Order: sequence, then structure tokens, then C-alpha cells
Amino acid sequence: MSDISKEKEIIGQLRGILEESSTKEPDWDNFGRNSTIESLGLDSLTILDLLYDIEEEIGVHLEAKEVLNITTLGELVDLLIKNGA
Amino acid sequence: MVARGAANVWWLFDRKRQIVGRDNVIRSGIETDPKKARAIAKKAAHHMAIVVVESLRSKDFLSDEDTTDHLVLDIKPDVLAVMQDPEQSLIIASGHFGNWEVAGHWVSRFKPVAGVTRTMNNPLIESIVKKRKSRFRFRPIPKHDSNMGRFLEVLENKEFLALLFDQHAGEYGMMIDFFGHPASTFKTPPMLHLVTRTPLCFASCRRIGPMKFKICTSSLIHQPRSGNKNEDLKAILGSLNRDLEAAIRKDPTQYLWGHRRWRD
Repeated sequence: MSDISKEKEIIGQLRGILEESSTKEPDWDNFGRNSTIESLGLDSLTILDLLYDIEEEIGVHLEAKEVLNITTLGELVDLLIKNGA
Repeated sequence: MVARGAANVWWLFDRKRQIVGRDNVIRSGIETDPKKARAIAKKAAHHMAIVVVESLRSKDFLSDEDTTDHLVLDIKPDVLAVMQDPEQSLIIASGHFGNWEVAGHWVSRFKPVAGVTRTMNNPLIESIVKKRKSRFRFRPIPKHDSNMGRFLEVLENKEFLALLFDQHAGEYGMMIDFFGHPASTFKTPPMLHLVTRTPLCFASCRRIGPMKFKICTSSLIHQPRSGNKNEDLKAILGSLNRDLEAAIRKDPTQYLWGHRRWRD
């Protein structure tokens, strides 16, 4: 699978997860690599839900230290690919 | 004496808290007679005033190497091993029972402790609490903050994270039985445990005499991930609530009954 289609697949999976767990309705029209984590309606509590669901749905365990510096969806996708997604 | 006097005045004028406290005691099943329930709620109000005074005075003995005159410890071996391991962090879940401030400061002798705090309604108490918390190795972190990673940072730094989970959690909470009645309960301690695999335990600190306390912990709570997040959370939160109930039953006059724990 090419990098682009892999990335597309992961973004689709993340959208599915967020549709289930986000407490705030993100701007789905502009949902993509440049979406900030903040704009996705995540906070210190809901990001934990996201990390749990990522591990279940995508099968990748992310270390806390890796997640701390993430500010955009694109960075999260890159991190997931780097960790074997 | 002053603390009791202040608590008496507060109790006299805060009719709403009197009713909430009494009704919560009855709802818990600890006491069914309204007069006796009210007496427990009143003693609990005194207790909260004493907590403030004790927290200020406890610095004298908490700094000592030997605390046996003031503290009786029942720390489970697996928890103690984590506390003593410089490479491990620990999530310590507790409730508004006994003197949680003393417990937080005692445990900071092992490693720095970060605890979620909210601003006190009373500015005088807020300033006292702030001064108090800056002593020892206790770092307050705000309940609401734009820094999403503030809990994860604490665990990443191999520090202790102390969380009081027994207040009404609102929409983020999960309904878990507390004394047999569903109560919205904070998911933060179990979610952090499930996501980061950081060890988690319950702790309590009960007053057993003047300036004397018993600090107890549960064993480490092991909840393997089942793949069903809600079931995992229910299992852990159920365990934490049962541990807290057991602690409260040992002395119901040391619990914050005035808080609206059940809001249905």
C-alpha cells in the first residue's frame, strides 16, 4: 500500500474513532492532516479515550512521551505509521 | 477548638449543606434515622475544618524521618515496591475521606507528587492551601487547563499522580454504583492506567487520634485490557468505589457528605 493510501486509511480510521468519542463536533469538512488536536474537541481526558481506541482499532500502542508533542492530526498519522500502523 | 467553632458557625448557616449531608448519609445506608444521619453530617463538617488545621500543623512531623508517633502505615508490598522504584510512576486514587492532604504530603517523601486541585471558594482558605501545597514535593495541577498532556507529563516524569475521583463527574463521568446508587464517577484514573499501563492503587488516610493517622493502600489494581473500554472502566471504577466505601464505613464522620455526589 502506498504512503498516501495508507495515510488516507488511517485518517479514515481516526475519523471513525472521533465520531464515536469526541465530545465536540469537529469541522468534518476540513478534517485532514492540518486539523489541530484542539480543533478536534480533545482535552486531557478525551485524548485518553482516543489513545485507548487507537490501540484497539489500529493496533498501535503509543507511548505517552510520543503523544505529548503532537499538535496536528498529520503528526499523529505520521507517528502511527512510524509505529507500524 | 477554633476549627470546631468555625465549623459550627458554618454548619448553622449553611442549611443547604446540612440537608445534602444528612440525605447523603441516609442514601448511603450508613444511617437510616434522620437525626443520627444529621449528627454524622455535622461531625463530618467539623472534620473538614479540622483537616485544614491538621494539614497546616502536620508539617512538623511529616518532615521527620521517624513518623511512628503520628502515622500508622498499611502500604501493600506491591505498592511500596512501586513507590520505591525510581523508574516507575504511580496513580494514587482517593476520595474526600480522612485527611488526604497528609497522605499526599507523606507520599511525596518518595517522589514528587502532582495532584489536581480546584480553586477554593473561600479566598482565605485558598491562600492557606496554596502556601501549604507548595511545601514538600507536592505540585498542584489545575483541574481545567489547555495543556492536554498535563497528566501524561507527570507519569512520563516518573512522578506520582494523586487524583480524588469521588466528586460528581458530569458528562465525562461514568455511572458507577456508590453505596448501591449510580453516581457519575471520574474516568481519569482508570483511563490513565489502561492507556499508559502505569500502576494504579487506592489510598486512604483516616484520623485515628489527635494528629495521628492511618494511611492504607489497596494492592495494585490489575485490569488487563479486554478490548471493551467501558467494561474495563466499570471494573476498575467499581473496585475503587468499593475501596472508598469500605474506608468510609470505618468512620463515616470523616467523609465529605456535604458534596452532591448523587444528582439524579
